[in-house]
Amino acid sequence: MNKMKLRSFVTIAMLSSISFILMFLNFPLPYFPVFLEIDFSDVPALIAAITMGPVAGILVEFIKNILNWLFMGAPTGVPVGHMANFATGILFIMPVYYVYKRTNSVKGLIFGLIAGTFTMSIGMSVLNYVAFLPMYTYFLGMGTFDVKETIVLGILPFNIIKGILLMVLVLMLFRTMRNWIENQRAQYLLQKQ
Amino acid sequence: MMEKMIFGRFIPGDSFVHQLDPRSKLIFTFIFVVIVFLANNVATYGLLLIFTLFVILISRIRLYFLINGLKPVIILVIFTFLIHILFTREGDVLLNLGFLEVYEGGLRQGIFISIRFVVLVFVTTILTLTTSPISITDGLEVLLNPLKKFKLPIHELALMMSIALRFIPTLMDETDKIMKAQMARGSDLGAGPIKDRIKAVVPLLVPLFVSAFKRAEDLATAMEVRGYRGGEGRTRYRQLKWDAKDTTCIFALVLMTALLVFFRS
Repeated sequence: MNKMKLRSFVTIAMLSSISFILMFLNFPLPYFPVFLEIDFSDVPALIAAITMGPVAGILVEFIKNILNWLFMGAPTGVPVGHMANFATGILFIMPVYYVYKRTNSVKGLIFGLIAGTFTMSIGMSVLNYVAFLPMYTYFLGMGTFDVKETIVLGILPFNIIKGILLMVLVLMLFRTMRNWIENQRAQYLLQKQ
Repeated sequence: MMEKMIFGRFIPGDSFVHQLDPRSKLIFTFIFVVIVFLANNVATYGLLLIFTLFVILISRIRLYFLINGLKPVIILVIFTFLIHILFTREGDVLLNLGFLEVYEGGLRQGIFISIRFVVLVFVTTILTLTTSPISITDGLEVLLNPLKKFKLPIHELALMMSIALRFIPTLMDETDKIMKAQMARGSDLGAGPIKDRIKAVVPLLVPLFVSAFKRAEDLATAMEVRGYRGGEGRTRYRQLKWDAKDTTCIFALVLMTALLVFFRS
């Protein structure tokens, strides 16, 4: 087995653990419904994507949600919230990875993060409209809330705020860790090619 | 908190449900979640409720733990129940308070949905209460094995899951230590406006990431030295064993499905 491959597997596992732990440091935003909570568990996934490629980022999101489901269970029995979290994470980290890969600069990272915020808020609004809110509604019985209103007043602004907060955090993190991240990236990602 | 993180929600025991193979419990839970939606009248919902109570009884889980699992949804259940009572207008009027009319259909729907909710939560909670996360991972690996045909790296995924599980307590410990160290310097993660919270997260994440990458490097080297070479021909420390109990459990589920299909209207 390829040494670097094994090392990425183990690193992905570690980052998933961190991501899982960060999920507990969550907090709801004022004025928003309680099931919309902010946490920084997407940051390890983003680091994984930047240093080890997009699949690593997806895996971190995936393992994080499975672990959280095993430990906390899902309030509706069916893990709808976990699926939504998984989709949000991927929609956020993928654009960041692709834009950053192209430009390789702080400016590229900023553009990527803005693009990520954009795809996350638009994508989650669409997905909530076609999938997640109907699923919740189905499990709860009949229409307990207005789908369009929930999206326009809840999901959309919430994801924009979440994206901005993540953007600020990642940029601050990047200011201190840039060299280290680039170094890891050179070891993992560039060696593969 | 630490204790909780190590075992998840798992409560050790030796009841019938504890002794089942994780594979049969996983299959049981997944199919049960689907067949719950077959119920649509008094008889079928009654059956579901009795069946679930029976499972709770033989799992010998203290009711307190199950109620605990219900806590996050209890408000949701009550809310849905009330919505149905207030807004579903079917059948006869049972209660007329002038401004408020309760219909028979509304009450029935409300009770049905609440039962469905409680049953779903109880059964999935019993799975995680009676099975340790590591055996669930083992069970999932074996059950998802056929997907290898589609080039999905099931073994690697299970490996990553078990490593992640193994390191949750370690990294939790480390997070705790770093947080305390930051607190000693006067920063506080749990309070303050959002801006301060983000600022406080950065010095927490930097050492966590660096140490995680270092740890991963060490562990990968150790695994390589011990001759790890992927899932092909690997023997197992934890063996799964399917016996008569598991067949009984699956049989009970098939019987339950048949009854539901027979009695539903």
